[in-house]
Amino acid sequence: MFKIFDFNFGKEPGGIELRPAMSGINRKEKKYAKKMRNQPSNVIFPSSDPGAGKSGIESIESQSDSDCRNQQNGSHGAYCHQSQGSDRKHLENVPRFLNAKDFAQYRAAEINAMLKAVTHKSNSQFLQSLPPHFRRRAMSKNVKRLPRRLREIANKEMEKIAHLKKEQSKSKSRKARRRHGNLLLEFNRRQRKNIWLETHIWHAKRYHMVKKWGYCLANKPTGKSYRACYRAMTQQCLLQDLSFYCCLELNGTQDNLLKVLAPLSSREAGTTFASVDCLSGKRQGSLVLYKAEQYPEKPLGPITFLWRPRAVSEIHAENRQLWIWAHPALKMDLLTELHLACQCSDDPIPEAAQIDCRTLTQRGTGLKRKLEDKVGEEVIAKKKIIGNSTRAESKPESWVSLTTGIVIIDLTMEILRYRLIGPLSHSAMLEVLQPATVMENCEVTGEVMGARGLPFWWSQYCKKPEDLALHNRQGNFLQLLSGLASPAEISAGSVLGLTVRDPRLNIPENRTRALPDASQLKDLEKVKELSLKGLPAECAQSQIWDQNVRNIVTETKISEQELNQMKSKLLVPGSPLNLGPQESKIPILLVQQPGKMSGKEHIGWGSGWDILFPKGWGMAFWISLIYRGVRVGGLQEGVKHSQYQGIPRFPDDFPDCPAGIRHIEETEKELIDKYKRYPPAKRPNYIHYGTMTPFRCPWQQLVEEWEGKSKAHGLSGKEPELKPEVQISTKNLVGVHERETCMQSPEEDKLSDPEEQMEEDSVVQPKIPNPKDILAESGHVSILRNRRLLKQLSAWCRPTSSRGQQTKQCSQSVQMTTDAVDSSISSYPRFLVWVRLLPLKKGCPIANATICIPSEEDLQLQASDPKNYAPQEPKHRDPFKHQIKILKGRKKRALPEDQKSSSGGQDAKSSANCPKNLTLGLWPDQPQDVISHCSRLTIGYVSQGDFSLNVGRGEALGFVSLLGLLHMLSNQPGDKRGLVLVRNPASLQYRLARINIEV
Amino acid sequence: MADRATVAPQLGSQPALEGAADMDPVEYTLRKRLPRKLPRRKNDVYVNMKTDFRAQLGRCQKMLESGGFREICIHGLGLAINRAINIALQLQAAGFGALQLAANTSTVELVDDLEPELEEGESATRTRNNSAIHIRVFLVLPQGEKAEAVNPCN
Repeated sequence: MFKIFDFNFGKEPGGIELRPAMSGINRKEKKYAKKMRNQPSNVIFPSSDPGAGKSGIESIESQSDSDCRNQQNGSHGAYCHQSQGSDRKHLENVPRFLNAKDFAQYRAAEINAMLKAVTHKSNSQFLQSLPPHFRRRAMSKNVKRLPRRLREIANKEMEKIAHLKKEQSKSKSRKARRRHGNLLLEFNRRQRKNIWLETHIWHAKRYHMVKKWGYCLANKPTGKSYRACYRAMTQQCLLQDLSFYCCLELNGTQDNLLKVLAPLSSREAGTTFASVDCLSGKRQGSLVLYKAEQYPEKPLGPITFLWRPRAVSEIHAENRQLWIWAHPALKMDLLTELHLACQCSDDPIPEAAQIDCRTLTQRGTGLKRKLEDKVGEEVIAKKKIIGNSTRAESKPESWVSLTTGIVIIDLTMEILRYRLIGPLSHSAMLEVLQPATVMENCEVTGEVMGARGLPFWWSQYCKKPEDLALHNRQGNFLQLLSGLASPAEISAGSVLGLTVRDPRLNIPENRTRALPDASQLKDLEKVKELSLKGLPAECAQSQIWDQNVRNIVTETKISEQELNQMKSKLLVPGSPLNLGPQESKIPILLVQQPGKMSGKEHIGWGSGWDILFPKGWGMAFWISLIYRGVRVGGLQEGVKHSQYQGIPRFPDDFPDCPAGIRHIEETEKELIDKYKRYPPAKRPNYIHYGTMTPFRCPWQQLVEEWEGKSKAHGLSGKEPELKPEVQISTKNLVGVHERETCMQSPEEDKLSDPEEQMEEDSVVQPKIPNPKDILAESGHVSILRNRRLLKQLSAWCRPTSSRGQQTKQCSQSVQMTTDAVDSSISSYPRFLVWVRLLPLKKGCPIANATICIPSEEDLQLQASDPKNYAPQEPKHRDPFKHQIKILKGRKKRALPEDQKSSSGGQDAKSSANCPKNLTLGLWPDQPQDVISHCSRLTIGYVSQGDFSLNVGRGEALGFVSLLGLLHMLSNQPGDKRGLVLVRNPASLQYRLARINIEV
Repeated sequence: MADRATVAPQLGSQPALEGAADMDPVEYTLRKRLPRKLPRRKNDVYVNMKTDFRAQLGRCQKMLESGGFREICIHGLGLAINRAINIALQLQAAGFGALQLAANTSTVELVDDLEPELEEGESATRTRNNSAIHIRVFLVLPQGEKAEAVNPCN
């Protein structure tokens, strides 16, 4: 037993000492971990940081050899006092006495461990055992360059490495991998999870691809073409591949179908499936579907639909076909709802159409049938996948309802859809789509089977004179269409069926822009008639509705290779190839897209045509369209297209649909993650800006708070002084609607009755408890789609300055409008209204910007200085900043303890120390009191906003709370009505904007 | 929409249609189509009510002075007729007698869509007429040579 004077626990015999500059906890940890990486377990380094000294030693001790620690603890009392250090705390840890034998033993063990670590580097290569000045170039490759004593070890090591490498390396060379068959296999493997469109490879070379909704989709071009795409939409032609939209086919008698689908939609929100124009197959209809009998509470999403027109021969046939086109995000919700509505069983029953197809193919040689079966089913087959690649074999594709006899067929990826936008789409279409040549000698060719053993459906079709006449008429109409200057010059949603030639046969040699040919002026009278009367219903007939024909057309497609071989054998190179009866005839449908229809400006902007054709023909049509000088857009261009049109886009702008809610959650998570990746100084502190939810719009809280506010105070202020016409028309509307509902079917009556009732009674007692109030209690936000009310609101939002005299004259009628306001308040308490905002002067609102009510001073000041006035929000205090600072400090101090308790639990640490997960700049918990958080009352949020190339300034689309809107309108003077303030999430500047409700 | 100037000038100019009384606003929604667009030459100017008057005047002046056109055609439809005349007269006044005007009037047929609000209704279209003016502004040659008497603006 002797005293050690010069012993410091921290100083090991190896002389290794850790004196880091402790600036951050993390750095310290890291450095420590680095030091300890290759050390044996009993080697320890004390922390010499005086602040964290004690805890540091303790924590290190925990990692040291337990025997050693016990020993030291046991001898703790024997340590002597020292007067060397002034730090008394430090000295307390120093043992007073030391057992020399034990001490020497442990040191010896440590020295051994150290020597072991130095001589046997566990993760080092043989080369590193040589000192640097002995190392030579290429020693790792050539063993003979090594000193002889090391060669044996090196040989072993190298073998080991070579062995490892062989296992890891790819078995095939790049050349082999790029061979056609292998490439196909690889492609097929890659599209098992996400469906590839037929144009995928083309897009993947030129576009940023994203995986969305189970598809691989082109997001935006890799080149710079944002403005060029806009110009194409406005002046030329933009092409989009919309094949990812899902098509569901419903088969059944018309009455049954209408009866089943009636509860899914409401007449209040516009025309439904039963609309006369759509029912004849002449027009494509669009509507928002709801869960059965749930209107206006639970929408599913927007769809477009198309009825198959009745053929001339079977004009009284009962069976009808209906296509419902829906966004893929909506498909599953829609399918389950349709199953419920049609009472379909989940297990598939082989229905007539598929059997027909099988029997048809069996007539062939049989080889084709095998191939056909492989398509889309056997992924391993070296066969190009056409259609839905992700569908499992066992998964049903069609469902039959036993009670109603309705058959639902999932036609996902069976029919492709390309969208052409812009005035030049007519000329591009006219050049690409050439009506199929009619077979002259039907009798002869009728017997001939195709090269692949399939009958030519076209020759059979040509046998009927009335079909032939129809085909000619359709061709004529296509010619006439090119006489129109823009697709907007024909009525909305017109449908034209066609049968066209193989588009690959008339591709020009060079890519040229298809321009309207002014020289061969069309018959102007006929063009005028076309634009006035639209396309007749029988011209919408097309064979694409027939599944058999679709299958034949897909299968009899001549492959690119064969076509090129035939082309190369032509006597005159470059001359058009004439295939005669071998040539494929493709049935297609053209559907007009109306473009911007609501509002006053830019009517018909973004109008165009959709081309629908059977699968397998995607690239053929794509390339021939590209060669007509159209520009191609991705998803981003689709967003801009709908934004400039002012229409809500699915799923972004449907916060009341299940798909929309999912989408909002996903985007919020993404944006928060992105925000957190920035250093705190390089990101906006949203709390300072008074923005509670910068990455989403709290619709739920907004409507609930407005409801509470209106209940507490009532929205009675100054009543809106309305134009007399509006009031009268409102009265008329109610009256006529009532008459209308009387004629409706009984279940429709039940739906709309309570509200009608209330509308009438509202004059006497405006606040009748409504069944919808009870429904609204469930805590769901809905969007107002009642066209009548929207029209009324739209009229209220307009300023009345020009008709100020009239409003004064009929002040008696003001009373009535109060009732109208009250009635809408009581019947639609938790509803949002889709609005379009145009800044008066400056400003470019972005997504999640706040829409606020201007205060009275704002309006006064704006009147005095209309050019420059824009109020500012005072900077908010950040109550969490201090907390975060404290937390940070505590964390720093608490770090070594944590190391002792849990090795690396960041989460555990934060959860133990503070209840909230604080992030600098973000509001930590669920927002409370969203409407009065800022100096102006919030009524809504912007859901998409940007600089609009169409208007030439900022433009925003968003939702406002119905109650908030009415509150604002009722308190604003007539000439200032509809003025709101918009503020971006990362800005204190309010901008004045005018609200527009476009119906 | 080939150009801002071709945006229909009649929009918003007429709050009510002729014969709107026979259309029930409950059964139908009225949607006005844009007027038919015709092939446009470089020296055609379509006047509208949205663009600033001075900007439109300046454009015409530039075309005549430095644009190298000996003549330009100013078109106005509906409410914009007044403005078209105004522009033409201002041009002439500023031209020190070098410019002459030749005005033609015409009627433009416009199409309205009637969109059914109810299931039973069938969509229909209606035509109505609106007046238009086409003013040819041309430089008079100093030799006294007369420009062609035929007005191409039709």
